[in-house]
Amino acid sequence: MAQVDLKDVVKSYGDVDAVKRVSFTVGDGKFVALVGPSGCGKTTTLNLIAGLLDLTEGEIKVGGRMVNDLDPKDRDIAMVFQNYALYPNKTVRKNLAFPLKMRKVPGRVISEKVEQAAKLLDITHLMDRRPRELSGGQQQRVALGRALVRDPQVFLMDEPLSNLDAKLRVQMRAELKRFHKDLNATVIYVTHDQLEAMTMADKMAVMNGGILQQYDAPERVFEEPANVFVAGFVGSPAMNLLPASVVERDGELFASSKGWELHLSPEIASRAQTASTDQIILGVRHSCLILHDAQEPGCVPARVYTVEPTGDLTFAHLEMGDESVVISTDPRHRINADQTVWVEFDQNRVHVFDAVTEKRIPPS
Amino acid sequence: MRKRTLGGWDITGWIFLILLLLFSVLPMLWMLITSVKSQFAAIQYPPELIPANPTLEQYYRLLSPTSEVGGQFLRYLWNSIVVSTLTTVLGVAVAVPAAYAFARFRFPGRNALFFSVLFRNMFPAVVFLMPLFIMMRWMGLVNTHASLVITYLTFGLPLSIWLLKGFYDNIPVELEQAARIDGCTRFQAFLLVVMPLSAPGIIATAIYSFITAWNEYVYALTFLNSDEKLTLPVGLQRFFTEYATNWPGLMAASFIMSVPVVVMFLILQKYFVRALTEGAVKA
Repeated sequence: MAQVDLKDVVKSYGDVDAVKRVSFTVGDGKFVALVGPSGCGKTTTLNLIAGLLDLTEGEIKVGGRMVNDLDPKDRDIAMVFQNYALYPNKTVRKNLAFPLKMRKVPGRVISEKVEQAAKLLDITHLMDRRPRELSGGQQQRVALGRALVRDPQVFLMDEPLSNLDAKLRVQMRAELKRFHKDLNATVIYVTHDQLEAMTMADKMAVMNGGILQQYDAPERVFEEPANVFVAGFVGSPAMNLLPASVVERDGELFASSKGWELHLSPEIASRAQTASTDQIILGVRHSCLILHDAQEPGCVPARVYTVEPTGDLTFAHLEMGDESVVISTDPRHRINADQTVWVEFDQNRVHVFDAVTEKRIPPS
Repeated sequence: MRKRTLGGWDITGWIFLILLLLFSVLPMLWMLITSVKSQFAAIQYPPELIPANPTLEQYYRLLSPTSEVGGQFLRYLWNSIVVSTLTTVLGVAVAVPAAYAFARFRFPGRNALFFSVLFRNMFPAVVFLMPLFIMMRWMGLVNTHASLVITYLTFGLPLSIWLLKGFYDNIPVELEQAARIDGCTRFQAFLLVVMPLSAPGIIATAIYSFITAWNEYVYALTFLNSDEKLTLPVGLQRFFTEYATNWPGLMAASFIMSVPVVVMFLILQKYFVRALTEGAVKA
């Protein structure tokens, strides 16, 4: 297994930069998730690492070796594709053997390794079938097996679970995580599903518009999002982002917007004051808001738009001025649409973002 | 359960299909029957539906290299085989990489080039007869098989490329990417992964080229003038004038000519159907 380094990687198509100066290091044996919305450049980045696309600028190293000009086959990587890309005219056995055969591994060793991989993935009974005779989950295992047989330096995975149904996805997620641990493999995993990234990765690289927004451990990304985009992307339901202006009255600071005003705690106030202008964005997760039926001091009034019970938690969508806010509450707390409620902010857990730079202002 | 009754449309459909079947089979049948009659029986009126004294005499005559007619016929047959095979082989050799390039690569002028390839098909082939003849004379190719092969390629390639492009469009690009990661060069990925998957398309394209070349008449008639260069369709017509009265001989020759086409179609028709319907369902 090996470390992967990206340094100032750029990929341009004519005038359009799909990947803009992306740098990060994937430690040996680490599981890194590249995550972001469609078109953010995550798959392009993966294809650059694989060598399926040519770099415009920058450096990519696998195990300390510069691979910029190497063919995919010479980079010692394996890849699992979203649609599995199994060779439809070959049996499972031949699919698994193909990468070894192409590398001129002796036949006896091939059958040994293929058997080993099949056993590991529990697909020994499927060896003589063709891909179209397999279920999605089975195809997924074969695709994984084809990557495993070669003991590559790095595994690249491009949304490998997104074609599976929800239940199987959760199961395969756990299995993948287990494989990673058992094989001590270096994995770079592309997904648009932030939950997948959160649950599986040692580190996640959040991308948007071709730019790496934040590269950190999932907890850190969740707790300390670098900017407004990351804050809104990670976590489900998404963090509430409330633009407001900072106003001073009688020596106290308030976050004020159309239809609502919040008295800021001294700590939040001092953060808000370091913003480049008086415009800030408050970031609050649904769990950092407390719902009250009656008016209480420091609370902000809101109107209930709709209520979504999910069992463990009930989510309420509120209209607070012009903003829509999602809040979670105990299912036993009965609320109805169009009811007026009061929202308390847990100001110890509120994030402050500079509205101009969109960067998070950390506590001093 | 309600018993399914035959509606008016079903019956119309059946009648239509039966008429179509008779339309295509009866001439073949008549050809076969006539070819085993004696010359006298062939012009008898009313005609014998089942020959009283069937004979394979005409076939012996045509296929024996020593007889005058046989020698001529076998030469035409050989010429046809040469021209059609060359057209097919060259056609596939050009159409496969061309179609693959149109399907996979983005290059300047790609669309313009693709549609210009199809542009030829907007005109009936006869329109090009004189211009091509003049060009062939200028190149010194009149009365050569090369002139026919070149012409057939020009006419056959657009559809071949179109047909094959549909095939390549339907093969996910990830398969090639997987192959390249699994240790193939780009060319090996094409050869080992894409080619086997596009085999039905290639076979269909080959049949199409072969049959078109095999049956072509007008250009062969115009471009060739020496007897030893003639292909079968034109050669048969010479038969017709020289041996006008020998109906069984003409029919036997026609039958032999149609055998390769029919056999090829019977063996490979499933690929042909697949090739023509591929991409029709998938959006």
